[in-house]
Amino acid sequence: VPGFRDLLPAEAEVLREAQESLLAEMRRWGYRHVITPLVESMDVLELGLGREQRRRLFKFTDGQGDVVALVGERTVPVARLAAGKLRTAPLPLRLCYAGPVVSTDEGRFQQRRETYQVGAELIGAPGVVADAEVIAMAARSIEAAGIRRYQIDVGHAEFFHGIMDAVKLPDDIKAAVRAALAARDFVGLESLLESTSLRSAEHELLLRFPALRGGPEILKAAGGLVRNRRSEKALAELSEVRALLVAHGIGEVVNLDLGAIRDFDYYTGIIFEAFGPDLGRPVAQGGRYDGLLARFGRPAPATGFMVQLDLVTEMLSRTSGPPAPPRVDAAIAWSGSGLKAALRVGSTLRLLGMRAVVDTEARESAEARAWWTAVGAINLIHCRGGAAVSLTTEGKRTKRLAVAEVAQALAGSGVG
Amino acid sequence: MSSARISIAIPTGVLTNGALDLLARSGLITLSPEELGRQLLVDRAGLRVVLVRPTDVPAYVDHGAADLGIVGKDILWETPGAHYELADLRFGSCKLVLAVPNTSKLDGPDTWPPMFRVATKYPRTTGAWFESRGQSVEVVRLHGSVELAPQVGLVDGIVDLTATGRTLRENRLRVAAVLGTSTARLIANQASLKTRTQAVQSVVSKLREVAASAR
Repeated sequence: VPGFRDLLPAEAEVLREAQESLLAEMRRWGYRHVITPLVESMDVLELGLGREQRRRLFKFTDGQGDVVALVGERTVPVARLAAGKLRTAPLPLRLCYAGPVVSTDEGRFQQRRETYQVGAELIGAPGVVADAEVIAMAARSIEAAGIRRYQIDVGHAEFFHGIMDAVKLPDDIKAAVRAALAARDFVGLESLLESTSLRSAEHELLLRFPALRGGPEILKAAGGLVRNRRSEKALAELSEVRALLVAHGIGEVVNLDLGAIRDFDYYTGIIFEAFGPDLGRPVAQGGRYDGLLARFGRPAPATGFMVQLDLVTEMLSRTSGPPAPPRVDAAIAWSGSGLKAALRVGSTLRLLGMRAVVDTEARESAEARAWWTAVGAINLIHCRGGAAVSLTTEGKRTKRLAVAEVAQALAGSGVG
Repeated sequence: MSSARISIAIPTGVLTNGALDLLARSGLITLSPEELGRQLLVDRAGLRVVLVRPTDVPAYVDHGAADLGIVGKDILWETPGAHYELADLRFGSCKLVLAVPNTSKLDGPDTWPPMFRVATKYPRTTGAWFESRGQSVEVVRLHGSVELAPQVGLVDGIVDLTATGRTLRENRLRVAAVLGTSTARLIANQASLKTRTQAVQSVVSKLREVAASAR
């Protein structure tokens, strides 16, 4: 099926390892792991998703005739869980998850319709301390996955809402302005604003939207231009969050982006995106969505983020070349009555954390060596029955050893 | 997309000369269409210029293979994406029109049949335009020589781009409605704007300036 693909070992292993590193970092911040199903009822998803997101869902009917869909993101299911089965759990709740998500759109992400996301949600905590925790954890998580060069752009949805409140425009033009911004169409935006006679600082801000980013100095610059309470409050919060992120130790990777364009119906506060070098789209993104939980009957502030696992692995493979696949430590061949010894050696090596493959059939020297090459292992161990086995390490002579000495010999050679 | 260089995707076809002229006048890079046509990819003066099919420009930019792209608005109508549309470059102007045979009785909306059959290379724009007017439409997607379709009775009319109207006249078609006006636009990758703000913005403002002065 177009957009769905197999991941071969070289890619699958890197992806899985990155996923585990991300989740491990989230657990270090006290986030508990939950698994939500791949299929959700449309009744649930409709509560949380916008029209365009709903359109992209793979929908079908189950046996009872209910319309269900494959999940296209996992924040809404986690919100359902927090407001449902976990409704008696005390707030704030810290939850993390990982799993595939599916979209009917080809080409949303490199022609892939099935992608992998790892995310975390902090539910029930308002305020900038919670915002900063989630941003710092996003940064530390992608670092834990092996990404060294990245930047995080932090913005605020309320800054935009404040401007739209303050700007003096007829409602239909306002709607068109929102649509143009959502489509990132600044040519359309310009002609819309040109057609109105009124001029204000807010007009200028809208026109310069994509360029409203930089360090703390832009907060002051923007503060001099806006004259509405919503935007001013947003700027104050951004300033506080920035200070907290410096305390978290990630001040150097943080930029402020007042012109971040996101789903403004969904986000209600601080929003952020993480970018790597040479990647056309954000590797992680998130923000505050205080309105979502109420739709499931448990009003609560919430913030969270999601990491695109596919993009993490792509960045890893770009920066360090294709990551070396982990090699098998020992290929264990056998012949004659050597099978039992081979199985014993295999168990011992695996207990010590090494990777060992025992042959499924008896092979003599030359065939055993060919099999060793095919397995791609570092060492060949040949058990022929009797007390001794022969050990061949790449590029070295063959040694005769007692069965009991094998593990020590491999561990001693720095393998493992 | 290399870290030091800014890359810009230029479309083949009618906009190539205008795009190269703009790059030259903004002092960024002087390239002849022949040179670019021969090499398809030119690295010079801190700039990478790639020549790709018009419909591919948004793909190059959306995926970050190019930081910037020059592309006709008509292409953007059909392929919305995650890019930023930053500037109207004010060249390559043409109209997207609904054209019907000279002999046809169809004209304004009140003369349209219950189901309007239209051939076009722009199915998305066409569908949306008719829909917003409450008109049922059957869009036949063609890839070339759209002008032929009404003459052989395939459709009632066509939606196509026209700069001078000559092709329409030669095929005995007349304009019944204008759906929109297209000019060349400057689009940018969303991440490039954020991770390489200064380099990208400097190229953008040079192009903007020259385009605006040509107004």
